[in-house]
Amino acid sequence: MPQIITEANLRSLIDSLVKESKLVVGPKEAGSMVLYQPLSNGADLKLGALPRRSSKELFFPICEDILTFGKEDGVTKVKDVDRASFPDAVLIGALPCDAGSPSILDAVFSWDYNDDFYLERRKKSTIVGIACTSCDDACFCTAVGYAPDSPAGSDLFLTPLKDGSYACNAVTEKGEKLVSAHGSLFKEGAAADAAPLAAPDTAKLDLAKIKEWLNTHFEDPLWQSIADVCLGCGACAFICPACHCFDINDEGTPDHGTRRKHWDACGFGKFTNHASGHNPRDIQNKRYRNRIMHKFKYYDDKFGKTLCTGCGRCIRACPVGIDIGDILNKINVQAG
Amino acid sequence: MCQSKNIYLPNLATIEAIVDETPDVRTFRLVFQDENVRENFSFRAGQFAEYSAFGAGESTFCIASAPTRKGYIECCFRSVGRVTEELRRLEVGDTIGVRGPYGNSFPIEDFYGKNLVFVAGGIALPPLRTVIWNCLDLRDKFGDITIVYGARSEADLVYKRELAEWQERSDVRLVKCVDPGGNGPGFDGKVGFVPSVLEEAAPSAENTIALVCGPPIMIKFTLPVLERLGFTDDAIYTTLENRMKCGVGKCGRCNVGNVYVCKDGPVFTAGQVKAMSQEF
Repeated sequence: MPQIITEANLRSLIDSLVKESKLVVGPKEAGSMVLYQPLSNGADLKLGALPRRSSKELFFPICEDILTFGKEDGVTKVKDVDRASFPDAVLIGALPCDAGSPSILDAVFSWDYNDDFYLERRKKSTIVGIACTSCDDACFCTAVGYAPDSPAGSDLFLTPLKDGSYACNAVTEKGEKLVSAHGSLFKEGAAADAAPLAAPDTAKLDLAKIKEWLNTHFEDPLWQSIADVCLGCGACAFICPACHCFDINDEGTPDHGTRRKHWDACGFGKFTNHASGHNPRDIQNKRYRNRIMHKFKYYDDKFGKTLCTGCGRCIRACPVGIDIGDILNKINVQAG
Repeated sequence: MCQSKNIYLPNLATIEAIVDETPDVRTFRLVFQDENVRENFSFRAGQFAEYSAFGAGESTFCIASAPTRKGYIECCFRSVGRVTEELRRLEVGDTIGVRGPYGNSFPIEDFYGKNLVFVAGGIALPPLRTVIWNCLDLRDKFGDITIVYGARSEADLVYKRELAEWQERSDVRLVKCVDPGGNGPGFDGKVGFVPSVLEEAAPSAENTIALVCGPPIMIKFTLPVLERLGFTDDAIYTTLENRMKCGVGKCGRCNVGNVYVCKDGPVFTAGQVKAMSQEF
């Protein structure tokens, strides 16, 4: 028998978690849009829309302090950031294309050198994913191996039911703990029929074949044709659940300042610019090629994963209409 | 507080000495402030570090001193950007941050018993200077050592005092050169570009390893010369010097194709470089 939670109890669960001093993050209305934001109570949760930015910022913030520096009595001192007091967090209502991204990003933040800013937050977070019931033309999760009902990356996975309640599937121990700690809000019982799932209108891509094509087409007219319109604005990277490139910069003065790590984008001309002025990716088509190669070849070469969950945000955000789904389809066709 | 390790936290080091190599290239000799770090910091020739000017940020340079010289490290930089301009404002006794050592290194032990040819241009001598001193400090482990080093002009030659020292040594063959027009009246080296001076010097490729560092244009014209001299791709080593931020394989900017210069490099054989996606 599955565990069932009613919508009222799902909101009560959020109230309880907030009372337990957990950081609860979920889709919330923010002006004209929905964003993954800290929820102050259950009523804040706004399900049914894909938030504007992905939920990766819960683990990999847009900008964060990584150390502070300054002078005490004329002597330079550096202070670490207190990561032990990062709060226990619950991400609730993450759609499969967002819930799936941390398990992709874990690889890059933990190979050889551990980025404990990311990993500490990951360790202290529980992800409650939810099956997706609405999509638009930009969605292509099914093309890259995800699905509206994919529990990949979720600790607890909710499936909306026709009667407005949710069937709960504990995917990991963290998910089980969340349920058992709030047992009174869940009840065992026969699930009503599931609400209709979203059905993205995309064919499944052969990612292995696409990668094979990328292996042998570092030089190809395709890159030029995309770059002819790309403005290099970086929106696609910032809005992506899986892009992980960042910059490190100092703010302040030698007497008192902060070193910060913040999102960056490989589409920017200065991203790879040497101090000498030499730039290995000096033109836009090399930069866009790197974006596709990183997502569908390099990351797979290094970590055995594709750096894309098919959320479609880059397609919606692109001011000139570059459609990564179309590009992948073109490659898929060319790859035969 | 139980704290995990912060991989971005630098060690503090004091600038013990400053040497102006050229009008805009400067060497720092650095001593770690923490006794434990000072005694235990170890690195291999070819590795790099991230150096902080607090308030301006971090820059990536190789460790230019030799691992055989203990108690300090040296870096060498040209003032061309926000961080290096700020570093240049620092004085002896001031504090900078050092993260590292990072990256792979030259497999010096594999060179034992072989002849070595160093080929460097301009400010790319520092990544080879660490190897040169490493090898000179273990001189009897190597055969002939030849150094071909050139810069645009006499003023642009770095480590001038060490060039003089190498010139004096009977167990080193130094061929220094400047580009045509870069020589003053009393210049005692050759006049010409590094690749042609190398070809003229014609070191034997037999049982010899070539180590090449320089601007992309110099590398481009030097590799065919080495080939003509009989060097195979796996007997030629170079370093790639891409822009970096994290230095530890996360920030995503130093890659050449699927090769992360910070983790898989910066030291590569010519064969490895040729096999990469050509995006330098």
